[in-house]
Amino acid sequence: MNILYDIYSIVWREVKRYSKSKFGVLIRLIQPLIWIIVVGNTFTETSPLIASVGFSGDYMQFITPGIIILTAIFTSIFGGVNTLWDRRYGFINKVLISPISRSSIALGKMIAISIIATVQSCLILGISFLIGVAIPTYFNLLFVITVIILFSLGFSGISVIVASLARSQETFWATINFLGMPLFMLSPALFPLELLPPWLSTVAKLNPVTYTIILIRDVMNEQTNTNHLEIGLFIIICFAFIITIIASFVFTRDMKKPF
Amino acid sequence: MTSLSKKFGSVFVINDITLQVKKNEIFGFLGPNGAGKSTTMMILATLLKPTSGIVTINDFNIVSHPEKVREHIGYVQQEITVDEYLTGRENLILQSRLNHIPKNVAKERIDEILKLIELENKQNDLVITYSGGMRKRLDIAGSLLHKPKVLFLDEPTVGLDIQTRKKIWEHIKKIRSNFKTTIFLSTHYMEEADELCDRIAIIEKGKIKVIDSPITLKKNFGSEILNIITETNIESIKSAPEIVHIKKSVNEMILKNKTIKISSTNCTKILPLLIKSLLKLEIEIDSISMYPPTLNDVFIKYTGKTIDQENVTYNMKREYRRLRNIKK
Repeated sequence: MNILYDIYSIVWREVKRYSKSKFGVLIRLIQPLIWIIVVGNTFTETSPLIASVGFSGDYMQFITPGIIILTAIFTSIFGGVNTLWDRRYGFINKVLISPISRSSIALGKMIAISIIATVQSCLILGISFLIGVAIPTYFNLLFVITVIILFSLGFSGISVIVASLARSQETFWATINFLGMPLFMLSPALFPLELLPPWLSTVAKLNPVTYTIILIRDVMNEQTNTNHLEIGLFIIICFAFIITIIASFVFTRDMKKPF
Repeated sequence: MTSLSKKFGSVFVINDITLQVKKNEIFGFLGPNGAGKSTTMMILATLLKPTSGIVTINDFNIVSHPEKVREHIGYVQQEITVDEYLTGRENLILQSRLNHIPKNVAKERIDEILKLIELENKQNDLVITYSGGMRKRLDIAGSLLHKPKVLFLDEPTVGLDIQTRKKIWEHIKKIRSNFKTTIFLSTHYMEEADELCDRIAIIEKGKIKVIDSPITLKKNFGSEILNIITETNIESIKSAPEIVHIKKSVNEMILKNKTIKISSTNCTKILPLLIKSLLKLEIEIDSISMYPPTLNDVFIKYTGKTIDQENVTYNMKREYRRLRNIKK
Protein backbone atom coordinates (compact mmCIF):
# COMPACT_ATOMS: atom_id res chain seq x y z
CA MET A 1 0.00 0.00 0.00
CA ASN A 2 2.55 2.52 -1.18
CA ILE A 3 -0.03 5.25 -1.64
CA LEU A 4 -0.91 5.18 2.07
CA TYR A 5 2.79 5.39 2.96
CA ASP A 6 3.21 8.29 0.50
CA ILE A 7 0.22 10.13 1.99
CA TYR A 8 1.66 9.50 5.45
CA SER A 9 5.03 10.96 4.36
CA ILE A 10 3.40 14.19 3.19
CA VAL A 11 1.22 14.38 6.32
CA TRP A 12 4.30 13.72 8.48
CA ARG A 13 6.09 16.72 7.00
CA GLU A 14 3.17 19.10 7.34
CA VAL A 15 2.36 18.06 10.91
CA LYS A 16 6.05 18.29 11.90
CA ARG A 17 6.16 21.83 10.56
CA TYR A 18 2.96 22.71 12.44
CA SER A 19 4.16 21.20 15.70
CA LYS A 20 7.31 23.33 15.57
CA SER A 21 5.38 26.56 15.13
CA LYS A 22 4.05 27.15 18.65
CA PHE A 23 3.54 30.82 17.87
CA GLY A 24 1.44 29.84 14.84
CA VAL A 25 -0.72 27.56 17.02
CA LEU A 26 -1.40 30.42 19.45
CA ILE A 27 -1.95 33.10 16.81
CA ARG A 28 -4.60 30.96 15.12
CA LEU A 29 -6.54 30.86 18.41
CA ILE A 30 -6.75 34.62 18.84
CA GLN A 31 -9.40 35.37 16.22
CA PRO A 32 -11.88 32.67 17.39
CA LEU A 33 -11.29 33.69 21.01
CA ILE A 34 -12.14 37.30 20.16
CA TRP A 35 -15.35 36.08 18.50
CA ILE A 36 -16.30 34.03 21.57
CA ILE A 37 -15.48 36.79 24.04
CA VAL A 38 -16.82 39.78 22.10
CA VAL A 39 -19.77 38.34 20.16
CA GLY A 40 -20.62 35.75 22.85
CA ASN A 41 -20.91 38.46 25.51
CA THR A 42 -22.42 41.14 23.25
CA PHE A 43 -25.36 38.97 22.24
CA THR A 44 -25.85 37.17 25.54
CA GLU A 45 -29.17 39.02 26.00
CA THR A 46 -30.50 37.34 22.85
CA SER A 47 -30.90 34.01 24.68
CA PRO A 48 -34.73 34.39 24.91
CA LEU A 49 -34.84 35.14 21.18
CA ILE A 50 -32.98 31.97 20.25
CA ALA A 51 -35.02 30.05 22.81
CA SER A 52 -38.10 31.18 20.88
CA VAL A 53 -37.00 29.06 17.92
CA GLY A 54 -36.45 25.98 20.09
CA PHE A 55 -32.85 26.26 21.36
CA SER A 56 -32.68 25.44 25.04
CA GLY A 57 -29.17 26.63 26.05
CA ASP A 58 -27.70 30.12 26.52
CA TYR A 59 -26.13 32.19 23.72
CA MET A 60 -22.58 31.02 24.56
CA GLN A 61 -23.74 27.42 24.15
CA PHE A 62 -25.37 28.49 20.88
CA ILE A 63 -22.40 30.34 19.40
CA THR A 64 -19.65 27.82 20.34
CA PRO A 65 -20.29 25.38 17.43
CA GLY A 66 -20.17 28.35 15.05
CA ILE A 67 -16.83 29.50 16.44
CA ILE A 68 -15.44 25.97 16.30
CA ILE A 69 -16.40 25.87 12.64
CA LEU A 70 -14.99 29.38 12.12
CA THR A 71 -11.66 28.02 13.40
CA ALA A 72 -11.91 25.01 11.11
CA ILE A 73 -12.82 27.17 8.09
CA PHE A 74 -10.00 29.63 8.45
CA THR A 75 -7.30 27.17 9.49
CA SER A 76 -8.11 24.86 6.60
CA ILE A 77 -8.82 27.48 3.94
CA PHE A 78 -5.53 29.30 4.73
CA GLY A 79 -3.67 25.98 4.87
CA GLY A 80 -3.19 25.68 1.12
CA VAL A 81 -0.87 28.68 1.03
CA ASN A 82 2.20 26.56 1.62
CA THR A 83 1.36 24.70 -1.59
CA LEU A 84 2.22 27.97 -3.33
CA TRP A 85 5.51 28.21 -1.44
CA ASP A 86 6.27 24.58 -2.19
CA ARG A 87 5.86 25.24 -5.88
CA ARG A 88 7.74 28.50 -5.87
CA TYR A 89 10.74 27.09 -3.98
CA GLY A 90 10.97 23.76 -5.75
CA PHE A 91 9.68 21.35 -3.10
CA ILE A 92 6.95 20.13 -5.45
CA ASN A 93 9.55 19.43 -8.17
CA LYS A 94 11.59 17.51 -5.62
CA VAL A 95 8.54 15.39 -4.80
CA LEU A 96 7.69 14.97 -8.47
CA ILE A 97 11.01 13.34 -9.33
CA SER A 98 10.70 10.91 -6.45
CA PRO A 99 8.80 7.64 -6.95
CA ILE A 100 5.95 8.92 -4.75
CA SER A 101 2.43 8.54 -6.14
CA ARG A 102 1.19 11.81 -7.68
CA SER A 103 -2.26 11.76 -6.10
CA SER A 104 -0.78 11.20 -2.66
CA ILE A 105 0.71 14.72 -2.67
CA ALA A 106 -2.65 16.51 -2.80
CA LEU A 107 -4.32 13.97 -0.53
CA GLY A 108 -1.49 14.17 1.99
CA LYS A 109 -1.65 17.96 2.01
CA MET A 110 -5.44 17.99 2.48
CA ILE A 111 -5.37 15.40 5.26
CA ALA A 112 -2.57 17.27 7.03
CA ILE A 113 -4.42 20.58 6.79
CA SER A 114 -7.60 18.98 8.10
CA ILE A 115 -5.69 17.41 11.03
CA ILE A 116 -4.23 20.82 11.89
CA ALA A 117 -7.64 22.51 11.54
CA THR A 118 -9.19 19.84 13.78
CA VAL A 119 -6.50 20.31 16.44
CA GLN A 120 -7.08 24.07 16.38
CA SER A 121 -10.85 23.59 16.57
CA CYS A 122 -10.42 21.14 19.46
CA LEU A 123 -8.34 23.74 21.31
CA ILE A 124 -11.26 26.17 20.96
CA LEU A 125 -13.61 23.40 22.07
CA GLY A 126 -11.39 22.84 25.13
CA ILE A 127 -11.40 26.59 25.92
CA SER A 128 -15.18 26.66 25.58
CA PHE A 129 -15.40 23.83 28.16
CA LEU A 130 -13.42 26.05 30.53
CA ILE A 131 -15.96 28.85 30.15
CA GLY A 132 -18.88 26.56 30.88
CA VAL A 133 -19.94 25.07 27.56
CA ALA A 134 -20.71 21.38 27.98
CA ILE A 135 -21.02 18.34 25.73
CA PRO A 136 -23.26 15.46 26.85
CA THR A 137 -21.17 12.32 26.26
CA TYR A 138 -17.77 11.22 24.98
CA PHE A 139 -19.56 9.70 22.01
CA ASN A 140 -21.01 13.12 21.13
CA LEU A 141 -17.52 14.60 21.46
CA LEU A 142 -16.10 11.95 19.12
CA PHE A 143 -18.90 12.59 16.66
CA VAL A 144 -18.22 16.35 16.70
CA ILE A 145 -14.51 15.75 16.07
CA THR A 146 -15.31 13.42 13.16
CA VAL A 147 -17.56 16.04 11.60
CA ILE A 148 -14.83 18.69 12.00
CA ILE A 149 -12.32 16.41 10.27
CA LEU A 150 -14.66 15.83 7.32
CA PHE A 151 -15.60 19.51 7.11
CA SER A 152 -11.94 20.62 7.27
CA LEU A 153 -11.04 18.10 4.59
CA GLY A 154 -13.55 19.78 2.28
CA PHE A 155 -12.27 23.25 3.05
CA SER A 156 -8.63 22.24 2.77
CA GLY A 157 -9.59 20.91 -0.67
CA ILE A 158 -11.00 24.34 -1.58
CA SER A 159 -7.75 25.89 -0.38
CA VAL A 160 -5.63 23.48 -2.45
CA ILE A 161 -7.78 24.16 -5.53
CA VAL A 162 -7.39 27.93 -5.10
CA ALA A 163 -3.62 27.57 -4.50
CA SER A 164 -3.27 25.40 -7.61
CA LEU A 165 -5.14 27.85 -9.81
CA ALA A 166 -4.02 31.14 -8.23
CA ARG A 167 -0.27 30.93 -8.94
CA SER A 168 0.40 34.05 -6.89
CA GLN A 169 0.07 34.95 -3.23
CA GLU A 170 -2.05 38.01 -4.05
CA THR A 171 -4.63 36.05 -6.03
CA PHE A 172 -4.68 33.31 -3.40
CA TRP A 173 -5.36 35.66 -0.49
CA ALA A 174 -7.89 37.71 -2.42
CA THR A 175 -9.84 34.57 -3.38
CA ILE A 176 -9.61 33.00 0.08
CA ASN A 177 -10.81 36.17 1.80
CA PHE A 178 -13.60 36.46 -0.72
CA LEU A 179 -14.71 32.89 0.12
CA GLY A 180 -14.02 32.47 3.82
CA MET A 181 -15.90 35.21 5.61
CA PRO A 182 -19.06 35.18 3.41
CA LEU A 183 -19.38 31.42 3.85
CA PHE A 184 -19.19 31.89 7.61
CA MET A 185 -21.58 34.86 7.69
CA LEU A 186 -24.09 33.16 5.39
CA SER A 187 -24.67 30.43 7.94
CA PRO A 188 -26.50 30.06 11.26
CA ALA A 189 -23.20 30.51 13.14
CA LEU A 190 -24.35 33.61 15.02
CA PHE A 191 -28.16 33.39 14.75
CA PRO A 192 -30.62 30.60 13.97
CA LEU A 193 -31.74 30.23 10.37
CA GLU A 194 -35.30 30.91 11.52
CA LEU A 195 -34.32 34.46 12.57
CA LEU A 196 -32.62 35.32 9.28
CA PRO A 197 -34.54 37.15 6.52
CA PRO A 198 -36.11 34.57 4.15
CA TRP A 199 -33.77 35.33 1.23
CA LEU A 200 -30.71 35.03 3.48
CA SER A 201 -32.05 31.84 4.96
CA THR A 202 -32.48 30.42 1.42
CA VAL A 203 -28.90 31.35 0.52
CA ALA A 204 -27.64 29.86 3.78
CA LYS A 205 -29.31 26.55 2.94
CA LEU A 206 -27.00 26.24 -0.09
CA ASN A 207 -23.96 26.56 2.15
CA PRO A 208 -22.30 23.38 3.55
CA VAL A 209 -21.20 25.43 6.59
CA THR A 210 -24.86 25.73 7.58
CA TYR A 211 -25.39 21.97 7.82
CA THR A 212 -22.14 21.43 9.70
CA ILE A 213 -22.97 24.06 12.32
CA ILE A 214 -26.53 22.77 12.78
CA LEU A 215 -25.22 19.21 13.09
CA ILE A 216 -22.54 20.08 15.66
CA ARG A 217 -24.93 22.34 17.58
CA ASP A 218 -27.55 19.59 17.77
CA VAL A 219 -25.02 16.97 18.89
CA MET A 220 -23.37 19.29 21.45
CA ASN A 221 -26.73 20.25 22.94
CA GLU A 222 -28.40 16.86 22.63
CA GLN A 223 -31.17 18.32 20.52
CA THR A 224 -30.71 15.54 18.06
CA ASN A 225 -33.21 15.61 15.30
CA THR A 226 -32.66 12.37 13.35
CA ASN A 227 -33.65 14.11 10.17
CA HIS A 228 -31.10 16.93 10.72
CA LEU A 229 -28.45 14.40 11.63
CA GLU A 230 -28.86 12.26 8.54
CA ILE A 231 -29.16 15.16 6.10
CA GLY A 232 -26.27 17.03 7.74
CA LEU A 233 -23.98 14.03 7.77
CA PHE A 234 -24.85 13.12 4.18
CA ILE A 235 -24.15 16.67 2.94
CA ILE A 236 -20.83 16.93 4.81
CA ILE A 237 -19.63 13.54 3.55
CA CYS A 238 -20.61 14.44 -0.03
CA PHE A 239 -18.99 17.89 0.32
CA ALA A 240 -15.71 16.43 1.63
CA PHE A 241 -15.67 13.62 -0.94
CA ILE A 242 -16.48 15.76 -4.00
CA ILE A 243 -14.07 18.56 -3.07
CA THR A 244 -11.28 16.05 -2.32
CA ILE A 245 -11.69 14.47 -5.75
CA ILE A 246 -11.75 17.85 -7.52
CA ALA A 247 -8.76 19.15 -5.51
CA SER A 248 -6.71 16.02 -6.25
CA PHE A 249 -7.51 16.32 -9.94
CA VAL A 250 -6.77 20.06 -10.19
CA PHE A 251 -3.59 19.84 -8.11
CA THR A 252 -2.22 16.80 -9.96
CA ARG A 253 -3.03 18.34 -13.35
CA ASP A 254 -1.68 21.75 -12.46
CA MET A 255 1.54 20.87 -10.69
CA LYS A 256 2.92 19.29 -13.86
CA LYS A 257 3.06 22.74 -15.38
CA PRO A 258 6.22 24.70 -14.63
CA PHE A 259 5.64 27.55 -12.25
CA MET B 1 20.45 12.46 -25.79
CA THR B 2 19.87 12.69 -29.50
CA SER B 3 18.45 15.71 -31.33
CA LEU B 4 16.77 17.02 -28.18
CA SER B 5 14.60 20.08 -28.76
CA LYS B 6 12.15 21.96 -26.59
CA LYS B 7 9.85 24.64 -27.89
CA PHE B 8 7.79 27.08 -25.81
CA GLY B 9 5.27 28.71 -28.12
CA SER B 10 7.23 29.39 -31.28
CA VAL B 11 10.57 29.77 -29.50
CA PHE B 12 13.10 26.93 -29.40
CA VAL B 13 14.63 27.02 -25.92
CA ILE B 14 16.67 23.92 -26.75
CA ASN B 15 17.53 23.31 -30.34
CA ASP B 16 18.75 19.94 -31.59
CA ILE B 17 21.12 18.97 -28.79
CA THR B 18 23.00 15.70 -29.10
CA LEU B 19 25.45 14.49 -26.48
CA GLN B 20 26.46 11.49 -24.46
CA VAL B 21 27.67 11.50 -20.86
CA LYS B 22 30.05 8.75 -19.80
CA LYS B 23 29.70 6.69 -16.64
CA ASN B 24 31.25 8.29 -13.53
CA GLU B 25 31.98 11.46 -15.47
CA ILE B 26 31.37 15.02 -14.26
CA PHE B 27 29.84 16.70 -17.27
CA GLY B 28 29.22 20.43 -17.29
CA PHE B 29 26.75 22.56 -19.18
CA LEU B 30 28.33 25.99 -19.42
CA GLY B 31 26.26 28.89 -20.61
CA PRO B 32 24.70 32.22 -19.69
CA ASN B 33 21.26 32.69 -18.14
CA GLY B 34 18.54 31.79 -20.61
CA ALA B 35 20.83 29.49 -22.63
CA GLY B 36 18.56 26.49 -22.01
CA LYS B 37 20.55 24.81 -19.22
CA SER B 38 17.77 24.57 -16.64
CA THR B 39 15.21 23.52 -19.25
CA THR B 40 17.51 20.69 -20.32
CA MET B 41 17.96 19.71 -16.68
CA MET B 42 14.19 19.68 -16.16
CA ILE B 43 13.73 17.45 -19.20
CA LEU B 44 16.42 15.07 -18.00
CA ALA B 45 14.81 15.01 -14.54
CA THR B 46 11.45 14.05 -16.15
CA LEU B 47 9.81 17.32 -15.12
CA LEU B 48 9.29 18.56 -18.68
CA LYS B 49 8.52 16.65 -21.85
CA PRO B 50 10.79 17.33 -24.82
CA THR B 51 9.23 18.61 -28.04
CA SER B 52 11.37 16.17 -30.01
CA GLY B 53 14.43 14.00 -29.65
CA ILE B 54 15.36 10.93 -27.67
CA VAL B 55 16.84 10.92 -24.18
CA THR B 56 17.86 7.78 -22.34
CA ILE B 57 19.28 7.56 -18.85
CA ASN B 58 20.71 4.21 -17.84
CA ASP B 59 19.01 2.73 -20.91
CA PHE B 60 15.57 4.02 -19.89
CA ASN B 61 13.78 6.47 -22.15
CA ILE B 62 12.69 9.53 -20.16
CA VAL B 63 9.36 9.79 -22.00
CA SER B 64 8.27 6.16 -22.08
CA HIS B 65 9.73 5.09 -18.70
CA PRO B 66 9.89 8.18 -16.48
CA GLU B 67 9.26 6.11 -13.31
CA LYS B 68 12.29 3.92 -14.04
CA VAL B 69 14.40 6.98 -14.81
CA ARG B 70 13.40 8.58 -11.49
CA GLU B 71 14.71 5.54 -9.61
CA HIS B 72 18.16 6.19 -11.07
CA ILE B 73 18.47 9.94 -10.81
CA GLY B 74 18.94 12.61 -8.19
CA TYR B 75 18.13 16.23 -9.01
CA VAL B 76 19.30 19.26 -7.11
CA GLN B 77 17.52 22.37 -8.30
CA GLN B 78 18.95 25.84 -8.60
CA GLU B 79 16.76 26.98 -5.69
CA ILE B 80 17.48 25.56 -2.26
CA THR B 81 14.53 23.27 -1.61
CA VAL B 82 15.17 22.05 1.93
CA ASP B 83 12.43 22.75 4.46
CA GLU B 84 13.53 25.54 6.78
CA TYR B 85 11.13 24.53 9.53
CA LEU B 86 12.47 20.99 9.84
CA THR B 87 15.85 19.99 11.19
CA GLY B 88 18.60 18.81 8.86
CA ARG B 89 17.99 15.21 9.87
CA GLU B 90 14.20 15.52 9.47
CA ASN B 91 14.73 16.85 5.95
CA LEU B 92 16.74 13.77 5.12
CA ILE B 93 14.15 11.48 6.75
CA LEU B 94 11.48 13.12 4.59
CA GLN B 95 13.60 12.64 1.48
CA SER B 96 14.17 8.97 2.36
CA ARG B 97 10.41 8.49 2.80
CA LEU B 98 9.73 10.11 -0.58
CA ASN B 99 12.19 7.68 -2.11
CA HIS B 100 10.69 4.65 -0.35
CA ILE B 101 13.91 3.79 1.45
CA PRO B 102 13.24 1.30 4.29
CA LYS B 103 13.57 2.89 7.73
CA ASN B 104 16.60 0.86 8.91
CA VAL B 105 18.50 1.44 5.64
CA ALA B 106 17.57 5.13 5.69
CA LYS B 107 19.02 5.64 9.17
CA GLU B 108 22.35 4.18 8.10
CA ARG B 109 22.49 6.21 4.89
CA ILE B 110 21.50 9.44 6.60
CA ASP B 111 24.34 8.98 9.09
CA GLU B 112 26.76 8.22 6.26
CA ILE B 113 25.70 11.22 4.18
CA LEU B 114 25.64 13.65 7.10
CA LYS B 115 29.23 12.63 7.74
CA LEU B 116 30.16 13.09 4.09
CA ILE B 117 28.73 16.61 3.92
CA GLU B 118 30.06 17.47 7.39
CA LEU B 119 26.72 18.36 8.93
CA GLU B 120 26.70 15.75 11.72
CA ASN B 121 26.93 18.37 14.44
CA LYS B 122 24.12 20.50 13.03
CA GLN B 123 21.76 17.66 12.09
CA ASN B 124 19.28 18.37 14.89
CA ASP B 125 19.15 22.13 14.35
CA LEU B 126 16.35 23.75 12.37
CA VAL B 127 17.48 24.45 8.81
CA ILE B 128 16.42 28.09 9.24
CA THR B 129 19.60 28.48 11.34
CA TYR B 130 21.84 27.09 8.53
CA SER B 131 23.98 29.22 6.22
CA GLY B 132 23.35 29.18 2.45
CA GLY B 133 26.22 26.75 1.89
CA MET B 134 25.00 24.35 4.58
CA ARG B 135 21.50 24.38 3.10
CA LYS B 136 22.90 23.60 -0.34
CA ARG B 137 24.98 20.74 1.06
CA LEU B 138 21.89 19.38 2.79
CA ASP B 139 19.92 19.70 -0.44
CA ILE B 140 22.60 17.73 -2.31
CA ALA B 141 22.69 15.15 0.51
CA GLY B 142 18.94 14.58 0.18
CA SER B 143 19.29 13.81 -3.50
CA LEU B 144 21.90 11.13 -2.75
CA LEU B 145 19.95 9.07 -0.23
CA HIS B 146 18.61 6.59 -2.78
CA LYS B 147 22.11 6.27 -4.25
CA PRO B 148 21.26 7.56 -7.72
CA LYS B 149 23.46 6.52 -10.61
CA VAL B 150 23.15 9.97 -12.18
CA LEU B 151 23.03 13.22 -10.24
CA PHE B 152 21.80 16.43 -11.88
CA LEU B 153 23.04 19.63 -10.27
CA ASP B 154 21.45 22.77 -11.65
CA GLU B 155 23.75 25.72 -10.88
CA PRO B 156 24.89 24.10 -7.61
CA THR B 157 26.77 27.12 -6.28
CA VAL B 158 24.79 30.03 -7.65
CA GLY B 159 24.55 32.89 -5.14
CA LEU B 160 27.19 31.45 -2.80
CA ASP B 161 30.45 33.12 -1.84
CA ILE B 162 33.73 31.78 -3.22
CA GLN B 163 34.77 29.95 0.00
CA THR B 164 31.42 28.17 0.18
CA ARG B 165 31.59 27.39 -3.52
CA LYS B 166 34.98 25.73 -3.06
CA LYS B 167 33.57 23.67 -0.18
CA ILE B 168 30.67 22.51 -2.38
CA TRP B 169 33.13 21.59 -5.13
CA GLU B 170 35.05 19.41 -2.67
CA HIS B 171 31.82 17.64 -1.77
CA ILE B 172 30.86 17.12 -5.40
CA LYS B 173 34.24 15.49 -6.03
CA LYS B 174 33.80 13.31 -2.94
CA ILE B 175 30.33 12.25 -4.09
CA ARG B 176 31.71 11.11 -7.42
CA SER B 177 34.51 9.10 -5.83
CA ASN B 178 32.53 7.67 -2.87
CA PHE B 179 29.29 6.84 -4.67
CA LYS B 180 30.60 6.31 -8.22
CA THR B 181 27.92 8.72 -9.39
CA THR B 182 27.79 10.26 -12.82
CA ILE B 183 27.29 14.01 -12.36
CA PHE B 184 25.69 16.33 -14.87
CA LEU B 185 25.89 19.93 -13.75
CA SER B 186 24.98 23.25 -15.22
CA THR B 187 26.84 26.41 -14.39
CA HIS B 188 27.66 29.86 -15.62
CA TYR B 189 30.82 30.03 -13.50
CA MET B 190 33.91 29.41 -15.62
CA GLU B 191 36.08 28.44 -12.67
CA GLU B 192 33.47 25.92 -11.53
CA ALA B 193 33.39 24.23 -14.92
CA ASP B 194 37.18 24.31 -15.08
CA GLU B 195 37.65 22.92 -11.57
CA LEU B 196 35.01 20.21 -11.59
CA CYS B 197 34.20 18.98 -15.05
CA ASP B 198 35.86 16.23 -17.04
CA ARG B 199 34.08 17.55 -20.11
CA ILE B 200 31.97 20.59 -20.78
CA ALA B 201 29.45 21.63 -23.38
CA ILE B 202 29.23 25.35 -24.12
CA ILE B 203 25.59 26.14 -24.75
CA GLU B 204 24.14 29.37 -26.06
CA LYS B 205 20.57 30.13 -27.13
CA GLY B 206 19.67 26.45 -26.89
CA LYS B 207 22.45 25.24 -29.15
CA ILE B 208 25.66 23.46 -28.23
CA LYS B 209 28.68 25.29 -29.57
CA VAL B 210 31.37 22.81 -28.56
CA ILE B 211 31.92 19.76 -26.33
CA ASP B 212 35.31 18.77 -24.95
CA SER B 213 37.42 18.68 -21.81
CA PRO B 214 38.38 22.10 -20.40
CA ILE B 215 42.08 21.21 -20.93
CA THR B 216 41.59 20.34 -24.60
CA LEU B 217 39.41 23.38 -25.23
CA LYS B 218 42.05 25.66 -23.76
CA LYS B 219 44.84 23.81 -25.57
CA ASN B 220 43.07 24.13 -28.90
CA PHE B 221 42.66 27.82 -28.28
CA GLY B 222 46.42 28.37 -28.32
CA SER B 223 49.10 28.02 -25.73
CA GLU B 224 49.17 31.73 -24.79
CA ILE B 225 47.01 34.82 -24.91
CA LEU B 226 48.50 38.19 -25.65
CA ASN B 227 46.41 41.15 -24.63
CA ILE B 228 47.34 44.69 -25.61
CA ILE B 229 45.39 47.75 -24.54
CA THR B 230 46.00 50.84 -26.63
CA GLU B 231 45.48 54.53 -25.97
CA THR B 232 43.36 55.01 -29.09
CA ASN B 233 40.76 53.02 -30.98
CA ILE B 234 42.39 50.43 -33.24
CA GLU B 235 39.42 49.49 -35.44
CA SER B 236 40.93 51.59 -38.28
CA ILE B 237 44.18 49.60 -38.48
CA LYS B 238 42.44 46.23 -38.97
CA SER B 239 43.35 46.14 -42.65
CA ALA B 240 46.86 47.60 -42.35
CA PRO B 241 49.34 45.25 -44.12
CA GLU B 242 51.48 44.86 -40.94
CA ILE B 243 48.46 43.74 -38.96
CA VAL B 244 47.16 41.45 -41.71
CA HIS B 245 50.61 39.85 -41.85
CA ILE B 246 50.62 39.16 -38.08
CA LYS B 247 47.04 37.87 -38.22
CA LYS B 248 48.13 35.21 -40.70
CA SER B 249 50.76 33.82 -38.33
CA VAL B 250 48.57 33.40 -35.22
CA ASN B 251 45.63 31.17 -34.25
CA GLU B 252 43.32 34.07 -33.67
CA MET B 253 43.54 37.84 -33.55
CA ILE B 254 40.71 40.07 -32.35
CA LEU B 255 40.84 43.85 -32.65
CA LYS B 256 38.03 45.61 -30.86
CA ASN B 257 37.85 49.20 -29.57
CA LYS B 258 41.16 49.65 -27.73
CA THR B 259 42.03 45.97 -27.31
CA ILE B 260 44.10 43.58 -29.37
CA LYS B 261 43.77 39.96 -28.32
CA ILE B 262 45.97 37.29 -29.87
CA SER B 263 46.02 33.57 -29.21
CA SER B 264 49.08 31.83 -30.44
CA THR B 265 51.69 29.23 -29.58
CA ASN B 266 54.49 31.80 -30.02
CA CYS B 267 53.26 35.02 -28.46
CA THR B 268 56.75 35.90 -27.22
CA LYS B 269 58.00 36.06 -30.83
CA ILE B 270 54.99 37.98 -32.08
CA LEU B 271 55.09 40.62 -29.36
CA PRO B 272 58.17 42.60 -30.61
CA LEU B 273 56.82 42.50 -34.15
CA LEU B 274 53.42 43.76 -33.02
CA ILE B 275 54.89 46.57 -30.92
CA LYS B 276 56.98 47.67 -33.90
CA SER B 277 53.92 47.64 -36.17
CA LEU B 278 51.80 49.60 -33.72
CA LEU B 279 54.47 52.24 -33.28
CA LYS B 280 54.76 52.51 -37.04
CA LEU B 281 51.00 52.98 -37.25
CA GLU B 282 51.31 55.63 -34.52
CA ILE B 283 49.25 53.70 -32.03
CA GLU B 284 50.35 54.22 -28.44
CA ILE B 285 50.31 51.25 -26.10
CA ASP B 286 48.75 51.52 -22.67
CA SER B 287 49.43 48.02 -21.29
CA ILE B 288 50.54 44.54 -22.34
CA SER B 289 49.69 41.25 -20.67
CA MET B 290 50.35 37.63 -21.54
CA TYR B 291 48.67 34.64 -19.90
CA PRO B 292 47.63 31.07 -20.61
CA PRO B 293 44.11 30.82 -22.12
CA THR B 294 41.17 30.46 -19.76
CA LEU B 295 37.74 28.98 -20.31
CA ASN B 296 36.50 32.54 -20.58
CA ASP B 297 38.65 32.95 -23.71
CA VAL B 298 37.24 29.71 -25.06
CA PHE B 299 33.72 30.92 -24.29
CA ILE B 300 34.33 34.19 -26.14
CA LYS B 301 35.74 32.28 -29.10
CA TYR B 302 32.61 30.16 -29.47
CA THR B 303 29.94 32.67 -28.52
CA GLY B 304 31.54 36.00 -29.44
CA LYS B 305 30.95 37.48 -25.97
CA THR B 306 31.86 36.97 -22.36
CA ILE B 307 29.46 35.13 -20.11
CA ASP B 308 29.27 38.22 -17.88
CA GLN B 309 28.28 40.44 -20.81
CA GLU B 310 25.51 38.02 -21.57
CA ASN B 311 24.35 38.05 -17.98
CA VAL B 312 24.39 41.85 -17.88
CA THR B 313 22.14 42.01 -20.93
CA TYR B 314 19.83 39.49 -19.26
CA ASN B 315 16.52 41.13 -19.89
CA MET B 316 13.67 40.98 -17.39
CA LYS B 317 11.05 41.55 -20.06
CA ARG B 318 12.45 38.73 -22.15
CA GLU B 319 12.52 36.45 -19.10
CA TYR B 320 8.92 37.38 -18.27
CA ARG B 321 7.86 36.52 -21.81
CA ARG B 322 9.75 33.23 -21.54
CA LEU B 323 8.02 32.30 -18.28
CA ARG B 324 4.66 33.29 -19.70
CA ASN B 325 5.26 30.98 -22.63
CA ILE B 326 6.21 28.17 -20.25
CA LYS B 327 2.94 28.65 -18.35
CA LYS B 328 0.98 28.34 -21.59
